[in-house]
Amino acid sequence: MSDQPAFAVTTGMRRRAAGQAAAAQPERRLGGVQVRRTAGRVVEIILLTAVALLVVSPIYWTIVTSLRTPAQSFSNPPAWIPTHPLWSNYSAVFSNVPFWDFLLNSFLITGCIVIGQMITCCLSGYAFARLRFRGREPIFWAVLATMMVPIQATIIPVFLLVKEFGLFNSRTGLILPVVATAFGTFLMRQYFLQMPKELGEAATVDGANQWQVFYRIYARLAGPPLATLGVLAFAAYWNEFFRPLIFLSTPTKFTLPLGLVTLQGYLGTGSVSVVLAGVVLSLIPTLIVFLFAQRRLVEGLTFGSVKG
Amino acid sequence: MALALPRRHARTAGAKTGTDLHRRRETRFAWLLILPTILGVGLFTAVPIVGSFVLSLFNYSIISPTKWVGLANYSALLHDSNAQHAFVVTIILTVGIAIAQVVVGLALAVAVQRRTGWARSLYRAAFFVPLLVSGASVSIVMSYIFDSQFGVLNYYLGLIGLPQVSWLDSTWGAIFTVMIVVTWQQLGFTFIVFSAALGAVPRELTEAARVDGAGGWRVFRKITLPMISPSILFTVTVGVINQLQLFDQPYVLTHGGPGNATQTVVLDIYEQAFQNLRFGYASAISVILFIVVLVATFLQFRISRRWVFYS
Amino acid sequence: MRTTRSAGHERLISRRCFLVGASAAAGLASLGLAGCATDRSPDSLVVAVNGTQAAAAAIKQAVGIPFLAKHPKVQLSIMAINGTDWDDYFAKVLTLIAGGLAPDLTTVATEGLQLFASKGIAEPLNDYVMRDKASLQGYFADVHPVLVESMMYQGDLYVLPTDFNCGNMFFDTVLLDKAGASYPADNWTKDDFYNLADKWATTQSAVAWDWVVRLWGSWTSWMYANNANLLTEGRWPGGSWMWDTFYPNDPAAQGRKGGWHWGAPTANDPAVVDALQYMVDLKNARLSASPDVGGGGTLQGLFASNHIAMTIGGGFWAGGLHAAGMTPDQYDVQYFPAWSVQKHLLGDAGYAMLKTSPVKEIAWEFMKSLTEPDALGALIAGNTSTPTRRSMMTASRYAPTGPAHWPVFYGTLDKFPNTTPIPAPPYYQELATAFAARTTQAMAAGSAKPALDGLQGDLESFVSAAAT
Repeated sequence: MSDQPAFAVTTGMRRRAAGQAAAAQPERRLGGVQVRRTAGRVVEIILLTAVALLVVSPIYWTIVTSLRTPAQSFSNPPAWIPTHPLWSNYSAVFSNVPFWDFLLNSFLITGCIVIGQMITCCLSGYAFARLRFRGREPIFWAVLATMMVPIQATIIPVFLLVKEFGLFNSRTGLILPVVATAFGTFLMRQYFLQMPKELGEAATVDGANQWQVFYRIYARLAGPPLATLGVLAFAAYWNEFFRPLIFLSTPTKFTLPLGLVTLQGYLGTGSVSVVLAGVVLSLIPTLIVFLFAQRRLVEGLTFGSVKG
Repeated sequence: MALALPRRHARTAGAKTGTDLHRRRETRFAWLLILPTILGVGLFTAVPIVGSFVLSLFNYSIISPTKWVGLANYSALLHDSNAQHAFVVTIILTVGIAIAQVVVGLALAVAVQRRTGWARSLYRAAFFVPLLVSGASVSIVMSYIFDSQFGVLNYYLGLIGLPQVSWLDSTWGAIFTVMIVVTWQQLGFTFIVFSAALGAVPRELTEAARVDGAGGWRVFRKITLPMISPSILFTVTVGVINQLQLFDQPYVLTHGGPGNATQTVVLDIYEQAFQNLRFGYASAISVILFIVVLVATFLQFRISRRWVFYS
Repeated sequence: MRTTRSAGHERLISRRCFLVGASAAAGLASLGLAGCATDRSPDSLVVAVNGTQAAAAAIKQAVGIPFLAKHPKVQLSIMAINGTDWDDYFAKVLTLIAGGLAPDLTTVATEGLQLFASKGIAEPLNDYVMRDKASLQGYFADVHPVLVESMMYQGDLYVLPTDFNCGNMFFDTVLLDKAGASYPADNWTKDDFYNLADKWATTQSAVAWDWVVRLWGSWTSWMYANNANLLTEGRWPGGSWMWDTFYPNDPAAQGRKGGWHWGAPTANDPAVVDALQYMVDLKNARLSASPDVGGGGTLQGLFASNHIAMTIGGGFWAGGLHAAGMTPDQYDVQYFPAWSVQKHLLGDAGYAMLKTSPVKEIAWEFMKSLTEPDALGALIAGNTSTPTRRSMMTASRYAPTGPAHWPVFYGTLDKFPNTTPIPAPPYYQELATAFAARTTQAMAAGSAKPALDGLQGDLESFVSAAAT
């Protein structure tokens, strides 16, 4: 965040508050409360780690199973460490399906969807949260209502629409219909509502017009929610199966989920280990996107404490 | 300070013409911002929804001529105990999953927030990873983990001396299993929303409260919770909307079974449409579902006025 | 002020009404477009294949290239649709049909044949077959008549079958050896089965018997062995054009007519109840696990890892078990045991021509080439199914995957004239859904009769709904 005139006041206040807090810190006392607090923290860390391991274990199991034949995987006691990793399962993925084509398609489609959504939802989320206009609430509810009907019920009309636009069997046909979304709009609206009104008012007083208030103040603060939206949307559309199944016909345009199902083979005769190898490979890009976006989330916000 | 220009002066003075102009400009700006969303959502989601709602007044099977039947599909619904059961099952699943998602997600987000550095990133990744895998893919592994005879879970339960549970082949076992699997998978959603929200809580406020002598739990209840309440409303609302339309996990894991124990409404819609070729009837069910979701969301917003705090 | 505001408000209402009206009209219009004749170019041939990309590419290689050499102007596109099950495949094909983009040829299995035929989606092939009977003599001589009859409806043929699977009994020979048991005789009985299963009664790590909740591959095999069925078995009249032309002196074609007629439901007949109850009893005696409710993947995985001694499988298990890591000497196959009779169920599949196709002649040529041994081989490469051509059943085909007694696969047809397809009437989908729900209900509750009474009611309502 660059230093802007509007923040000069708040930063100073922040520093003062921090100084106050530090000065008022009671003297450290050993024993008693201190030990209990440390013990509490250790227990907390142990519990947290246990839960984390539990949550990750099915994923870990997927990885381990992908490195063996299925026959070796379904035995008890479960063998958590693969003794002879079968990397051929992974090369089988590449030889059974045009993995790089699918990967590229998924990246293109998901990337465009996510970027499109981040833009449209940032704009509309701000408008619904911070701007006053007639019909704001009913329109927001109408937008929200579109989340309330499942794709299974609307797929045929959507398909007909996409086809009429000449977008059947095209990547654009998958991207365009979801570039705007109610979920993202709702998310951004809630975050913009959480931001203090005073920031915008202060900027207006300083002479900013509406666009500048949005772009220079609020949009700059929208990093974490945009990262949140980006990551959630990426995960959701990366793994989407039903729409690509219906809308795509040419194999070279398929996305990863379609490719993964292909690995299951005719009448389900494919090796489950190869399928899971494909699942693991498909997991890696989303993990990378997440780790990259995670830093933006960590930044967090400290909205200046504008008192009064 | 810059010289006050006539326009702003007019605004601060509250002259009627100035306010009107300002309002109109604000309206125009707002419409500019929401236009992409309105267009996109309107055309590609709203229009098909209206189309499929209209379809509920017909008998449509793609391969036979379309026939107008008026409200016959709806009266058939009144006598369809399977569809009604599906609504009950869906509501049970929704309540269970929505509560679990929010409570567990929040607890984990708070706990992880107190860690620092790479440990925090590692925990974040761990709790988010399930969301990155598609429900269908994981169901292969899940159907093995929860297998009552040879599954990993029952094996470890047996080691500790707990009884073997019929996870997937008993009515409540299956419902519970679906709840566990969906919560596990959706954990990343609530976790990350809360993580971002917690990061936005001004540290000065919580520290000032602590300086004033408040304990950790009190600070959490009186300061942190209200400050993140818009995010709680968001996760609960979106969670309910999503779970009322649950499809992926019951479809792959249990096929709605055993019997119809985990037959959700959308699973019913899918079967009526694409297996029984009764698209009109399926649309009628989705209209009812829409009403249920709308009412549930509206109620949540209403109740939220009492506990959500917007700064 | 007031007039301005109310005028604006009115404008807003009428604008809103207009928007709603327009979207409703658009929605209706978009549906009105459904069911239009196909909007495809007249030189393109689209073949929808329920299979993998690899299979589609192999078909293109084996069949497409020589075909295009003979018909250079045709734009051939082979669309491989691989969903999690037949449901996804139908969802895609139906949506394409709704959008006026129906393919010319599409895979159809026993499950969907009567629906496609009765609703007029598929084109009857009688005239084409009779016109080209000289070139098809070899094909029909190589294919057992039951596979052909199961692709007929009301006397008309709709599909040239390419692959099939019968419900045979698969054994884990590793477990058999460990228990000191021997491979059973061809005419073994239900009691033999029970005595054999008993050997694993106390084994912790393995179970004697397991199955999957589907019409093919479940207690239905026991139902057939008890000489019973969910629906009354009958035959449509007609079909003599087929039998007289292509199977004139074949005893296996005796008594065959115009396809299976599935009549009044008999789901709660005592013999049917006994079959499902037998599953419950086996589970209570700890000789059986709870059935797999998915597509059979878990079942194959458990079998491949030596957890299950016996289960129902077909020719496609050869490929599946091989892919799962089993070697040919670790498993084997035998005919299904006899109860009141020794009777097997079967399912087969092939390609149907859609009535909406604008290029039926070209589609017919392509369909014929799909039945050539090369194309069949490409379709079921790796033994992912059993070829309908008897001549393709060779030791070399099954050497890499096993099983040792592979002749059982086709033997089920040649040796047993009573082999019958799974009950697949035009309302098959509803039947399958109800079947799965009632089966899991019976297993969870531990009693077959109430569930089957329920199934009987379900089926009767489907029949009366179909009649209206």
